[in-house]
Amino acid sequence: MKIENQADCLCVSEFQELTAVNAASFRDGVQFALAGSPSVIEINLSQTRFMDSSGLGALFALYRATAQRKDVVLRLLNPTPEIQQLLELTQMQQLFEIVRR
Amino acid sequence: MGAPSLEPARPATLRLSFAPDLTSAREVSVAIRKFLAEQGVAEKELFSYELCIAEASNNAVEYAEGPCRNLRPIAEALFTPSQIELRVTDHTAGFALPEKIPPPPPMTDRGRGLFLIQSVMDEVRYLRGTNENILVMRKKRRAVRTPAVPSVVGTVDPLSYEKCKRELAESVIQMAKMADELLLRSETLSSVFRCCAELGSLGKISEGFEGRLLVDLLHLTSADWYVLRMLSPDRRKLLVAAASEPDLLSVPIELPTVGKPPAGIEAAVATSRTAVRFDNRESTDQSEPLRAVGPEGAGLVCPLCFGDTLVGTIAVGRRNGDFPLGRLQDEVIRTFAEFLSIQTLNLSRQKEEVHNRVVARELEIAQDIQHLLLPRTLPQLPGFSLAGGWQSAREVGGDFYDAIALDGQRLLLMIADVMGKGVPAALFATTMRGLLRGLASRSSDPSQLLSGLNRLLYKELSSVAMFITAQVVLVDLKTRNLTAASAGHCPLLYVPRGRRSVTSLPIRGLPLGVLPDTQYPHVTARLGSPAALLLYTDGLTDTRNLSGRAYGQSRLTSWLRSQVAPGRNATELRDRLATELNRFRGDALMDDDQAFLLMTEESASPARKTPAATRRIRLKRGSFLFPSIA
Repeated sequence: MKIENQADCLCVSEFQELTAVNAASFRDGVQFALAGSPSVIEINLSQTRFMDSSGLGALFALYRATAQRKDVVLRLLNPTPEIQQLLELTQMQQLFEIVRR
Repeated sequence: MGAPSLEPARPATLRLSFAPDLTSAREVSVAIRKFLAEQGVAEKELFSYELCIAEASNNAVEYAEGPCRNLRPIAEALFTPSQIELRVTDHTAGFALPEKIPPPPPMTDRGRGLFLIQSVMDEVRYLRGTNENILVMRKKRRAVRTPAVPSVVGTVDPLSYEKCKRELAESVIQMAKMADELLLRSETLSSVFRCCAELGSLGKISEGFEGRLLVDLLHLTSADWYVLRMLSPDRRKLLVAAASEPDLLSVPIELPTVGKPPAGIEAAVATSRTAVRFDNRESTDQSEPLRAVGPEGAGLVCPLCFGDTLVGTIAVGRRNGDFPLGRLQDEVIRTFAEFLSIQTLNLSRQKEEVHNRVVARELEIAQDIQHLLLPRTLPQLPGFSLAGGWQSAREVGGDFYDAIALDGQRLLLMIADVMGKGVPAALFATTMRGLLRGLASRSSDPSQLLSGLNRLLYKELSSVAMFITAQVVLVDLKTRNLTAASAGHCPLLYVPRGRRSVTSLPIRGLPLGVLPDTQYPHVTARLGSPAALLLYTDGLTDTRNLSGRAYGQSRLTSWLRSQVAPGRNATELRDRLATELNRFRGDALMDDDQAFLLMTEESASPARKTPAATRRIRLKRGSFLFPSIA
């Protein structure tokens, strides 16, 4: 998993799955990087092949951690059709901006 | 010639047990995805199945508690072209699976797993056992055509290629079957061993062991329901003892009486002691109890019996008759049925043994009560002797006597017979003896004593529909007057003044416990010389010999008449009476308690020391218990 701060954007990318196994380390890593107060948080799901409810829980934790800051944009980049469907099924697409590029 | 079908006879199955940690759970969901991919499941479907296995496996790991955290969960996938079934066995306390879980609001942290499973699968069931549950997830598929045979190139003969391919396919199926069989047999053995180990470590069979064993059975046979019925104690009904799901807990089934048709398959199996296969699609009988498994359900019903002894029935099967149980599964179910029968019989024998021990102990206690009931010693009187005898048709009885010296010259004698035998009679007798002793300190009048006893005992006696016959005799040794009252008791025998012959003295009076306020008239008489007095219970006159003839009052009167002689003391007479009664009865069984109290005129012989006998010796039936003389 790669976590980078580019200008005021926190980019998280290069993880093949977000599951019960790595959800906690994802959460901790992102939480740490939030200290830099980025205005955009972009989770790049281009390489993410699988996600379970613990992975969804980690994304929700990210939403909750930034809920107080109204100016922060939470962006999910290029989810696979399966993960997109998962987000819709759980109505979590309402919490994120979903972008393809 | 048509191409051979490559569809396996039974579902292609992958069964993996895994270490109870999240990393292993993840590896398992990846392995199951790979297995399904190998079966030709499309990439876009695989995500859903991987997700379901992942959610269920994670739950199995995260919710296990205590020692169950060390038990390995199991994940399984069963593939046929028309259906995929996923199963995860957990060792958690389990949970109640709602019919339909609503979508969790986006703002919640947890609770998405089961919702996702229900959303992507067609059918989700949760089979609960004790610390072992199975989540069964099914999805129907549109049958996918098997991939076309690749085009043949080069010089290979197409016919021989087809033949090789067919043989290869058959060998693969054959080997898969053999591997399955081997696996199934070893799993069956290990389940039976697990059950035996449990029995060994507990030292006894614990309740509910059938349920645990049957969850294993469901596993092994890939069945999805079971109903265990046990024979009711009156052996007339089959009662549900355990079932895989609450909707299978149906009403008891009556076993057919001779000439009547059985009510359903289980009753027929119980009657014939023969296993039967059934398929609900082939029957229209709506009253069949096994229709509870669904209109497409099918399975096997086995009798639980050992030798000729029927214990119950076990029905196991699948709700979808498209996947019937195979020969091997049948065999496993029969093995389990046999094992269960033996263990259940052992359990009931153990219970019976414990019950017998409890009964024996209760009898010991009751016998101790009986020993307390009879006077250990009888009063010693100048110029007279007293002796009593008692024996019971059972370990304890309701007959008893008592003798109380009121002062230097008056003696109160009492004999009673509590209706019935055994412990209840003995308990009433104990109460009555205590009451009599209490009342005698205030009054020595036999009529008043009986009225008092009736007043005090009426409520208890009438509430259990029991009664007591009793006789109280006050003897004044100086004046030789006797005053007697009777509550429905046998007449007393005595030698009246001026005659040398034994006479009976009948006295009227209702038994105790019949009416709340009863007066007991008394009669008076004078003792002749030598004085003799016999109070007895009807067990003496009702003593029967092998030909069924009763000893009778006239025989008793004649016998006493022949025995009364100057200088014969009561102890000697008592021994003779006991011998006489036993002689008359011969080898016939005693069917009533016997008690008697004898008084004769004669200086008492030196006390015959039998006190130990009255205290601790366990009586054999047919031997009299004698108190000593104080």
